[in-house]
Amino acid sequence: MRSPARLVTGTVGAAFTVIAFGLTAAAPSAYAGDFGRLEITPATAPPGATVTVNTTACGPKGSGIGDANELDAGDFEMRAGTHKEVLVGQFTVPHDTRPGDYEIVVSCDNGKDAVGDLKVIGGGKPDKPIHDRPSGHVRTGVGGSVEPNSTQVALGVGVIGLAAVGGLWLLRRRSESAEGS
Amino acid sequence: MSPSAQKAKGWLVGIAVLCGIWLVQNGPGGQIVPPQPSSAQAFAAGPQLQPGSPVAEPMDRSEPVRIRIPVIEVDAPMTRLGLAADGSLDVPPDENRNLAGWYGGGVPPGARGTAIVAGHVDNADGPAVFYALGSLTKGTTVEVDRRDGSTAVFSIDAIEVYDNDDFPDQRVYGDAPHAALRLITCGGGFSKETGYQGNVVAYAHLTGVR
Repeated sequence: MRSPARLVTGTVGAAFTVIAFGLTAAAPSAYAGDFGRLEITPATAPPGATVTVNTTACGPKGSGIGDANELDAGDFEMRAGTHKEVLVGQFTVPHDTRPGDYEIVVSCDNGKDAVGDLKVIGGGKPDKPIHDRPSGHVRTGVGGSVEPNSTQVALGVGVIGLAAVGGLWLLRRRSESAEGS
Repeated sequence: MSPSAQKAKGWLVGIAVLCGIWLVQNGPGGQIVPPQPSSAQAFAAGPQLQPGSPVAEPMDRSEPVRIRIPVIEVDAPMTRLGLAADGSLDVPPDENRNLAGWYGGGVPPGARGTAIVAGHVDNADGPAVFYALGSLTKGTTVEVDRRDGSTAVFSIDAIEVYDNDDFPDQRVYGDAPHAALRLITCGGGFSKETGYQGNVVAYAHLTGVR
């Protein structure tokens, strides 16, 4: 026969189980609607690091595609992991990524999305903009101050004018000599 | 008059007309471009400070707010510049003809190192803030008002002009052990097809603080 004490322990244990189950069940609901949890390893990475993500949001034998475009790392493939139900993907943090939080999204073919944040920290390349000097020439003008040389334009107009007068004179001479003959 | 003589004169008139048209459109010196520095204003033997010019201790860092070059009547506010995608220095918005920019990723004018300041020589409407930069001479005073209320006073060591394709990055942008200043604008020749062919660069160093 079970002692009352054991019975109590059993009940408490069962109650804990229910609470624990409730908590696990509640966790995904922290993300509104169809957002599932995306585990990101490491969650904090410097530029150049390879980051692995995994999720169960896509369901057993599910498939999906990863999106790291917020840090300009493009889309990445999600493959079935060693555990069924788990999809795993990898991407590399670009070398020029600035420190900050970036949202990584996996879109599942079942319509769910898994979302997580990656924190990018200052990495191997020291963040000292003072060493980023400019290079090459600067584009500081379009030519709006460049004007035709008015003296020379006047000279050109004068030459054309003289030629015109000369030409008219020649034509008159020709017509006069034609009349005369 | 014989017909052949008339014919010759006709040709003469034609040639004169063509010469006139050529003079109007693009003869030698057909354009008036912004003033360019003479070779006498270039460094005589590599970059060096103007002999005899005082060299002031660098100041603490403080953002520049205004630049003044009294001899060419420059008195303009300053804006912060970054780098363009190709690594070249960004330029101030060109719709504002009285605005100079300083490279915010480098040191501000007056602090130890090489401060870089750029301004337009012109925009589509006409001359802009650094139009007359190329007319400056060695020893000219340049003043920069700073946010901390101080004024950094510089003296020009040289003014040189470079082809766009042959821009000396290290000479212009390279670091300095004192408080150095570079003023950059467009210059060289101008072509309607490709715009300005180069940059005018004035080199200066800090001589005093007010």
